[in-house]
Amino acid sequence: MAVQEVKVLSAKYGIKDSRTLAVARAHGGYSQIEKAFAMEPAQIVEMVKASGLRGRGGAGFPTGMKWSFLPKGLDKPTYLCINSDESEPATFKDRQIIENDPHMLIEGIIITCWAINSHDAYIYIRGEFVHQAEMLNTAIDEAYAAGLLGEKACGKDFRVDITVHRGAGAYVCGEETALIESIEGKKGQPRSKPPFPAVVGLFQCPTIINNVQTIASVPYIIEHGAEGYRKFGTEKSAGTFLFGISGHVNKPGVYETELGVSMKGFIEDLAGGVWKNRKLKAVIPGGSSTPILLPKDVETCMLDYESIVEHGSMLGSGGLVVMDETVCMVKSLKNLLYFYHHESCGQCTPCREGTGWIYKIVSNIEAGKGKMSDLDLLLEIADNMEGKTVCVLSGAAAMPTRSYIQKFRHEFEEHIKLGKCPFAG
Amino acid sequence: MSKLITMNVDGQELQVEEGKNLIDALSAVGIHIPHFCYHPALGFDGNCRMCLVEVEGARGPQIACNTPVKEGMKVSLSSESSMNLRRKVLEFELINHPLDCPICDQAGECKLQDYYMEAGLSKSRMEVEKVAKEKNLDFGCGVVHDQERCVLCARCVRFLRKYTKTAELGIVNRCDKAKVTTFPEKPINNRYALNVVDICPVGAMTSRDFRFKQRVWFMSSEKSVCHGCAKGCSIYVDHNQEKYKAERVYRFRPRDNEQVHGYFMCDEGRLSYRKENENRLTTAKENGRFDTIDAATNQAVELLAAAKGKVVFIVSPSWTTEQMAVAKSLAAHYEGYLSGYADSYVVKGDGDDLLIKEDKAANRASLELLGISTDRQKLISNIKSAEVVVILNNNLALTTADEREFEALLAGKQVIAVASHRLAITESAQTVIPCASYTEYAGVVVNIDGILQEVTCAIEKECFARRPERVMAALSGNAVIAEIGAVRQQLSASVPALAQVDWNAIPENGLNLKGGAQ
Repeated sequence: MAVQEVKVLSAKYGIKDSRTLAVARAHGGYSQIEKAFAMEPAQIVEMVKASGLRGRGGAGFPTGMKWSFLPKGLDKPTYLCINSDESEPATFKDRQIIENDPHMLIEGIIITCWAINSHDAYIYIRGEFVHQAEMLNTAIDEAYAAGLLGEKACGKDFRVDITVHRGAGAYVCGEETALIESIEGKKGQPRSKPPFPAVVGLFQCPTIINNVQTIASVPYIIEHGAEGYRKFGTEKSAGTFLFGISGHVNKPGVYETELGVSMKGFIEDLAGGVWKNRKLKAVIPGGSSTPILLPKDVETCMLDYESIVEHGSMLGSGGLVVMDETVCMVKSLKNLLYFYHHESCGQCTPCREGTGWIYKIVSNIEAGKGKMSDLDLLLEIADNMEGKTVCVLSGAAAMPTRSYIQKFRHEFEEHIKLGKCPFAG
Repeated sequence: MSKLITMNVDGQELQVEEGKNLIDALSAVGIHIPHFCYHPALGFDGNCRMCLVEVEGARGPQIACNTPVKEGMKVSLSSESSMNLRRKVLEFELINHPLDCPICDQAGECKLQDYYMEAGLSKSRMEVEKVAKEKNLDFGCGVVHDQERCVLCARCVRFLRKYTKTAELGIVNRCDKAKVTTFPEKPINNRYALNVVDICPVGAMTSRDFRFKQRVWFMSSEKSVCHGCAKGCSIYVDHNQEKYKAERVYRFRPRDNEQVHGYFMCDEGRLSYRKENENRLTTAKENGRFDTIDAATNQAVELLAAAKGKVVFIVSPSWTTEQMAVAKSLAAHYEGYLSGYADSYVVKGDGDDLLIKEDKAANRASLELLGISTDRQKLISNIKSAEVVVILNNNLALTTADEREFEALLAGKQVIAVASHRLAITESAQTVIPCASYTEYAGVVVNIDGILQEVTCAIEKECFARRPERVMAALSGNAVIAEIGAVRQQLSASVPALAQVDWNAIPENGLNLKGGAQ
């Protein structure tokens, strides 16, 4: 059976003016507020826990569990941060929500604030999203004007204020503690954990940071309950996901499916298969930080957290990149490593120095100036970077390095033996 | 005293203080964990990753600087895997580090060098181009910065933010283009700037004053006390004697002392070592003409003997307690009046709330302990009725107004000046005898908080006879005792506050006369 799209988060995509409050409301926007406000906050947390919703930003941490980590009885306000930094290469799903249905996000924010007893939400949106920030602000202004936000959100004696904070062009600010630092006006450099943001976060107060897609999923859960959400997906990977697919396919784009569908089916049925009748060479499953998969892995892999882990990679941010037989893997890796080197915040030693080092070595190999010993050296450097740093950016650079060399070692060796790229003319 | 808990390091059980992080707790029991960015005065930053250690039961390696010790904690430092953690971080630190050792001031006291030797690393595996940055940058206040050597530990940035609260430095740029820099046209501008040179673990921050002057392994260090003001920060006096040259002091460095000043010292105090080498009084004068020290001393003895009962002695408020005691004996021997008048040593408004004190006298507290008067009116009236005035290294010319008034007072008197440096008074006095300065003698001083500390002799050569107590003994015709041991016995007997001092075991951090050592 062919892989089908579902319309949970993307229910309003394609409807004219779906960004506007009027159209959103006409199609069910803000319809769950009343129900949510009638529930106890603890009930909502339990419902989200039971639904199996996992963080859609990349780590896949159970959302309800994260919310329950908030300490009780502290004399401090709780903050909600929405991570709209979306800088993981190959990821472009959150912008779909902002461009097509920002009110679903706002509704999710209001419900989440109620659930975690927060009155202030900050949407951290990447600086490059100039138009998207405008769209977001327009939607928020509409919501304020209609009394959905403010001192008495949706008529309830409960204040919800949203601030849109624009980033300034740093991938590392998608890391939750770097995001917090950035909102506080400081350099976006990650903090050491512990303490975790749920206890000491924004302005030293308890803070929940969730991805745009995660929060946008909340209204559906309220409407249909945990069971309703679990109708989609698998036991451990419940719900739907906005997967993005790019690269050498006929129909690149964002498609919402339930979790657990066949990766091969997704590529062929929804994205139209590899373009130009070429052969599949490799697939990055969830953003450039995830280890690369070979065609044989794609055959048996499902698009859920567990299956991809079993195949040696991660679901991550669900950004698939399809590569055909003409791709030079060394050049591809060099391209990725340029990004990680450029984006390292520079705070801690292994990442700051390591990303530069591995980029330079792979560049040399790509130019035909590498040595055989470089390959094992690269693997060792990757091991020395991962797990030794303040945040996981070093791991994000190390994992692709390791997987490319492990799975395409012969191509690297070709470059070294030939003294040039075998794919070049 | 904090509660002690038991933990395990490399299979050995240890007792450490609860509440401390691993670096501090183990350092207190003599186990050193390599690190760059952690500093006890600045707190942890967690960016160098050098202190990564294996903790049993933890999720991955932990940074020792941010891991509090717990009862029953098991830490591995010497296992191959634990040592490899440090080797790998060190390798990363070194890949873009310039091969500057031959020209770098830090050589010999450089953490990178030290850890490299400890780790036993051999060849470099870095065969791609190193990142090039700027060198020899003038950051202001004599701080010179080298961006290539910098390991971006941010200690300098944190010092200027947390301690001086002036925040002149920051780190800009991402990845390995990150560099320490100042704001445009806003150099470092505070009185503690040179501390960044001390706390920089590598040669990225060097002192313009000390640059290229000495290799640290040629210098010897003595533990002493800064004489720049009444705070009396503990210091190391680094000195050396080069071939065919005179021995001299090359720099002062602060010595950690929780009881007195902490970890830092002010720039004026740090650079006051220069005064030990400049403007020194080296030749004696007799009857206004240059002559030998013996000749000058003989003349002084004659003058004093002839003026018994009509002599005034003015002693330096920075001399050691023992020297002040000998001055008392000297004054008594000639039935003279002894004053420690030093109002002019107080520079009003010059103190701050960090370390610098208004009072620039190093041992004023001892004047009080010994009951030496500092009254101005009494001094003036005594001078008026005296025939001979002996200046014992007291610099009356610290404030101009003072100088002119005292010049007039001393006009008709026989002035004997004993001084370590050339002062206005040594130009006008008839009898001048040079004496040693504080890096050339030993004794104790008491600071403004009542902490007694030892001053140690760094420069020995030719100076023994010129130690102030010896000069004073000679002036008394050797009637007065100048042997330090005997003088100290007398002090213990006559000064209640000093009665309990064990002179052979004065703690390195000093003795709190107001309540016992810490």
